[in-house]
Amino acid sequence: MSDHKPKKTIGNRPPRAFGWMAEYSNEHKLLEAARKVRDSGYTDTDAFTPFPVHGIDEALGIKPTKLPFIVLCCGLTGLSLALLMQWWMNGVDYMYIISGKPMGITPASIPVAFEMTILFSAFSTFLGMIALNQLPKFSNPVFTNPRFDRATDDKFFLYVSAKDKYYNRDSVRELLGGTQHDSLDEVIEDSTPDALPRPIWLTALLVVLAGLIPAMIILNMRNGFSTAPRFHVFFDMDFQPKKKAQQTTTIFADGRTMRPQVEGTVARGQLDEQDSFYLGYDPNKLSALENTDGVRLVATQADPKPQDTAKDGGTKVIPAANTPAAPAAALNLPWLTTLPIEANDENMKLGETKFQTYCSACHGYSGYGDGLVHKRAEALGQGFWIPPTSMHIDRVASQPVGQIFHTITKGQGKMPGYAASMNAKERWAVVLYVKALQRSRNASDKDIPEDKKPSIEDLTQPKTEAKK
Amino acid sequence: MATIASASALNPREIDNTDDIPGRRAQLITGNQTYSSVTEMVCRVAEDPQPMLWYVLFGFSSITAVMFLSLIGYLILTGVGIWGNMNPVFWAWPIVNFVFWVGIGHAGTLISAILFLFRQNWRTSINRAAEAMTIFAVICAAIYPGIHVGRAWLAFWLIPYPSLNLWMWPQFRSPLLWDVFAVGTYASTSLVFWYMGMIPDLATYRDRSKTPVKRMIYGLLCLGWTGSSRHWLRYEKAYTLLAALAAPLVLSVHTVVSFDFAVSQVAGWHTTIFPPYFVAGAIFSGFAMVVTLLVPVRKIYKLENLITLRHLDNMNKIILATGSLVGLAYGTEFFIAWYSKNPYEGFTFMNRAFGPYWWAYWIMVSCNVISPQLFWFKKFRTTPWIMVIISIFVNIGMWFERFVITVTSLSRDYLPSSWGYFRPTIFDGLMFFGSFGVFMSLFLLFCRYLPTIAMSEVKGVMSSSEHAEHLQAELLGGGHSHGHGHH
Repeated sequence: MSDHKPKKTIGNRPPRAFGWMAEYSNEHKLLEAARKVRDSGYTDTDAFTPFPVHGIDEALGIKPTKLPFIVLCCGLTGLSLALLMQWWMNGVDYMYIISGKPMGITPASIPVAFEMTILFSAFSTFLGMIALNQLPKFSNPVFTNPRFDRATDDKFFLYVSAKDKYYNRDSVRELLGGTQHDSLDEVIEDSTPDALPRPIWLTALLVVLAGLIPAMIILNMRNGFSTAPRFHVFFDMDFQPKKKAQQTTTIFADGRTMRPQVEGTVARGQLDEQDSFYLGYDPNKLSALENTDGVRLVATQADPKPQDTAKDGGTKVIPAANTPAAPAAALNLPWLTTLPIEANDENMKLGETKFQTYCSACHGYSGYGDGLVHKRAEALGQGFWIPPTSMHIDRVASQPVGQIFHTITKGQGKMPGYAASMNAKERWAVVLYVKALQRSRNASDKDIPEDKKPSIEDLTQPKTEAKK
Repeated sequence: MATIASASALNPREIDNTDDIPGRRAQLITGNQTYSSVTEMVCRVAEDPQPMLWYVLFGFSSITAVMFLSLIGYLILTGVGIWGNMNPVFWAWPIVNFVFWVGIGHAGTLISAILFLFRQNWRTSINRAAEAMTIFAVICAAIYPGIHVGRAWLAFWLIPYPSLNLWMWPQFRSPLLWDVFAVGTYASTSLVFWYMGMIPDLATYRDRSKTPVKRMIYGLLCLGWTGSSRHWLRYEKAYTLLAALAAPLVLSVHTVVSFDFAVSQVAGWHTTIFPPYFVAGAIFSGFAMVVTLLVPVRKIYKLENLITLRHLDNMNKIILATGSLVGLAYGTEFFIAWYSKNPYEGFTFMNRAFGPYWWAYWIMVSCNVISPQLFWFKKFRTTPWIMVIISIFVNIGMWFERFVITVTSLSRDYLPSSWGYFRPTIFDGLMFFGSFGVFMSLFLLFCRYLPTIAMSEVKGVMSSSEHAEHLQAELLGGGHSHGHGHH
């Protein structure tokens, strides 16, 4: 037995004593001593052993831990959170539709729910054990005894705290002295300074300061202003080796990245129709023409389907779109002379409807150029008003159907183009209706079918008689 | 006490304690150990200067690990195109390696948790190293899906978090997401289990430290552990709870990994046998890796008295059992392919065995099914160098098993026009090899700085078996002296 004498003082006072600690060479002696101490009525006691000694909790009167209850609560929390998370994330906030499977909680939610239950339980077990044991605790008066190092090796220690309500320094010493101990020491206050050594402080300070540097840089960048391009840590797909529309390229001879339609191919939505259906003229015949009218016509087109003039030799310059082009009427072009749609009742009705909707406001219901807008302008005496063209004058009446279609599509003079309001078929239907109007206003008796002539003659007879 | 063990002529520490005598428990550790001699033996591993071999191995494996990390950098800068993954086999070596490493990572927690619940006291000598191996294997495993996602710097998108960029959540019906949760939970729970088990032994390291710096570091790591009985009571309860939680967890992890395959529609993957078959394979490969590592460790660090032949014998029996289970699963797959009369299933399995990857299939069968059958013979179960060779073969076979499952099914799909033949690149090979560098570096560092054997648990088992012997001696009327060294 060796009494451990305090060699140092703390401040001006001697170190405080926390109790008595006896050392034993094996667990059986410890258990025997522990029972003796318990039977003497001491409760603020503890044993320190290199491994969990079975029976020590009974020998010291240690109560069972409430750790399993904590773990159960945390495990159920994990389970509920997992189910709630899956229900809300995939069933409410962001619903994935996959093979028509139900949303929210399904059997597919089981794996994640199970794993989350285990995760929460496992961490609560570990952290609960740490917290209930009040660890980490790096400064402990039991460590002041150098013999205590063997508590984690092969020695067993029994400790009676001075805080016990029956504690008496001499009687505890006597009680422990009566056991089969190897040594008996008083546990004294740790006399080493409380403050952390200076190098540790300095290192900690440096680490904190170094840790502030990235935060400062980010703060500076967020609040500052820079004209430099964004710094790309990872390129993601910000830079791609590709060409966009309207850019130039050296890959093709014409220097354009946008490619014209390949010969012999059909664009989407145009499978059933000729190009002339959309243009009102035959583009193949146009490109065969020697005069420059075709080029000038192409210049007026904003249509994505003009003939590729560049392929004729690449030397022809396409006039810029803003140069005033000659009126299409003056152009000698291969206009379509026959309607590409059938002249039936259905198309006539469609043409009539569209004509009355879009054309009659200016051109009038009969096509004389006496629409409501014109009448109002006349009534107001608007000097700058250009009267709408009558469809029944010779110049217009003699136009082929393709040219009328072109006029409706692209406009003429003050008249805007109607390609945006009517699709190609509707525009052709209007052409049909216009042609019918023109014919009706300049009709002769030759236009009347032979089988209808008798009934018409009956109606017109008195009129001709009066004239004669 | 009459000895039931006999020392080998070549190595005096190599004591054969594998014989069973009816009515008497076999010794768990040999050489008449006391509490302090156990401490001494284990702490010596970290306290003595490391043998030259350690430096050679560490130098080699750390260079390999650095190569692996550099290749990951190259992969991130260049893209996954450096691998051989190509239509139709997009799940090639990265996923094979992932499943391989996760499988290896099953032994540790199995030994710590399931054997603990079954009161298999022999686990105490091997559980720490096996748990460490588990952590390091799971680290290696987790790297592969992380770098396989293409844009590795966005791998955190796998975790459900309120993102201001995406405005969306992960898809919880996908087995790939279950994988994130299963492997994540397994890695963190195993880490906690491993660390918690080490706390008392770290305190031993602290108390034996000669320098104040070491004492401080180990003191911080062991959280100021004193060995208080109140602490031990909660600690043991926590350990039991963790074991009870980790036991279903360890079975769930490879089940979920097998769902990655089984939930899909691919022939050869879409089978219900996958979860038990994968779990058996994981235990099989995990124990093989434990044997591969512990045989040299016990030899180099002279731990033959703690990791006895009986421990190795027991592990080899588990390898034999799980290897036979895996063989049964291979047979069952073939039977079901025939019995189901599903032409795609039937084709897939004929293609596995006799198609373009026949060589991989037969490497798998010979390593996984045939080689562990040698463990029926006691001679093979108790000769260290033979068991290491068989264990290495087992792990080769288990890698090929994952290769066969992943690659053969994908390369011969339902649509013959999209069939292909997978060819790995040099980067596939170097990155698989490199992962062993990471694994070995971490394991060598573990041996050097952390307690390789759970001292407190070994001592606890010594105490209780001594107690049992004491009772037995009293019942038989014989005297028994307290103390140690007279076993």
